[in-house]
Amino acid sequence: MPREVDLTAVGPYADHLGDGLVQMSFTLPVPYSLAARRAALELAAGMGFEEPEVVHYQQLTEGYTYFVMYGRCTVAIDFSAMQGEGFDIEYMNEDEVERFVEEQIGRRIVVVGASTGSDTHSVGIDAMLNLKGYHGHHGLEGYRSFETYNLGSQVPNGVLLAKAIEVHADAILVSQTVTQQNLHVQNLTELVEMVEAEGRRAQIIMACGGPRVTNELAKELGYDAGFSKGTEPQHLATFLARELAARAPARA
Amino acid sequence: MRLSELSFPARRLALIGLAKNTGKTVALTTLLGELEQQGRTVGVTSVGRDGEEHDVIDARIEKPRVALAAGSLLATTDELLRASGLPYELLSETESRTPLGRVLVVRLEGAGIVEVAGPSAAQQVRAVSELMLHHDADQVLIDGAIDRRAASAPEVCDGLVMATGAVLGSEIEEIVTRTAEAVELARLPLLDGDDGVAARTRELAEGHGGHLSALVAGDGSVQELPPRFALRADGAALAELLPVHAAGSHLLVGGAVPESLLEALVELHRRGRELPVVVVGDPTRVFLSSHGVGWYRRQEIELRATRSAPLLALTVNPVAPRSHSFDSRELRGRLDHALEDLPILDVCAPEYPGPDIEPSPDGTSGSPDGASAP
Repeated sequence: MPREVDLTAVGPYADHLGDGLVQMSFTLPVPYSLAARRAALELAAGMGFEEPEVVHYQQLTEGYTYFVMYGRCTVAIDFSAMQGEGFDIEYMNEDEVERFVEEQIGRRIVVVGASTGSDTHSVGIDAMLNLKGYHGHHGLEGYRSFETYNLGSQVPNGVLLAKAIEVHADAILVSQTVTQQNLHVQNLTELVEMVEAEGRRAQIIMACGGPRVTNELAKELGYDAGFSKGTEPQHLATFLARELAARAPARA
Repeated sequence: MRLSELSFPARRLALIGLAKNTGKTVALTTLLGELEQQGRTVGVTSVGRDGEEHDVIDARIEKPRVALAAGSLLATTDELLRASGLPYELLSETESRTPLGRVLVVRLEGAGIVEVAGPSAAQQVRAVSELMLHHDADQVLIDGAIDRRAASAPEVCDGLVMATGAVLGSEIEEIVTRTAEAVELARLPLLDGDDGVAARTRELAEGHGGHLSALVAGDGSVQELPPRFALRADGAALAELLPVHAAGSHLLVGGAVPESLLEALVELHRRGRELPVVVVGDPTRVFLSSHGVGWYRRQEIELRATRSAPLLALTVNPVAPRSHSFDSRELRGRLDHALEDLPILDVCAPEYPGPDIEPSPDGTSGSPDGASAP
């Protein structure tokens, strides 16, 4: 019988609500052996999983063993606290975005994107903006409701911002590979500070993306949103459309 | 002198770091402790996030927590407030939405530990600061993030404290050089002088929302620059714009001055051209990474600001987390030698003046009373 989901205590789900079952996989750098299996079980117990169970293990290569395990997760999350007044977005698909922009914004959303500074990787920005897109989903270029400018890689911040102002961009999207060295972070902060210096911060939605970019990092960097691995173009499109709609009264 | 005394003149005080982990949050918590002891009501906001447990880039680095007294004013997101579990009175639900939630301005009704994440955009930082002053904060502390400086613009704050530290370099010399460059930029000379050109330039800088760019010639005539001229910093366009005898004229930039603009001017100078004085609204609009203001001055490029917020003190963190550290006295001595008229403090050093009376136990300590002598 289907039960009502308790949103104040949400945990993993496998066979029935509340069972907390998690499937995980990892590799240990030890030979394929009975001891390896025992090590995996203890490791899972150490992670806090109850009733850990090895359902599959095999030699990956000499001296390495790969495991697939089940375990019961004992913690739960108050999902109700993450909705509503906070920063929550329910993703729309491409058609829904097109309709939303048509109805709520009534014109095309202008987005300028680039990989800035010395970063030579443009794969992230291409996946989000170009028609070809990512994971079978169009990039924003393929949407009727977006007008996109992809400036490519190694774009100086001043040039990117000048283009954004010239085309009256609603949003700037930058992609950066954030490393533990500060270099790339400084590039990201410089861009947002330049937007401030030009007096445009209130008019331009700033979004950054990269393998290690979280919302927490985006906040510190001064951006409106951060996008990381697993982001598909329609996620970005949803964010931009909803953010612009929410800001619209302020712009009028 | 203690940090609270040095920063007393600024009702809206910005704490600006030169990089991550230079000790901004420790300076903030020191200030909070001192102000609480003096019975002053503070308002706190952060352009980034403060009081989180772990560093956002390197999770192995533990960060100091932020403890606030009951009655303190605070701008942070709805979710972080809820997570703190502290009771509060809602003063304003702002329009500011951040990646961590919507920003609320509240008065805490109980003391405790809270993560601070206020608005990021300078205009909104200014709005929440004014709101907190309106609600009787004696002083508003605006904490920066990473190396961001926009909150230290004179529209946003009345003074700033800068944080530097070992994290800037593995050699003391490098830290001193980079810090001196940042200090020199923050203390960019103002465009003074009563001659016609300077007065005309100041007048133009104050109008047009502060965003007009123009070349003001020695005779006071004004030539407005094409849009986005400074951002693109095109050497050929610059050569065409500037008269052969540009000495005595002022190049007023109404927005950001990227380093490429100064580099293009250096190139023109090398080809024998006289250069105008470059005038910006305030130091936060100048973006340098290869060279400092002093280096450009030696290439005959004079930079001036029309406004700036005073730099009140420099705090030093001699430790680079999970890396290296220096002797605090030596580092401060070297900085003091390189910088004029700037109080330099390490709030964690034993010689930093402690509280006059016994401190109230902070929220983290489980000690039942303050009986143990300092």
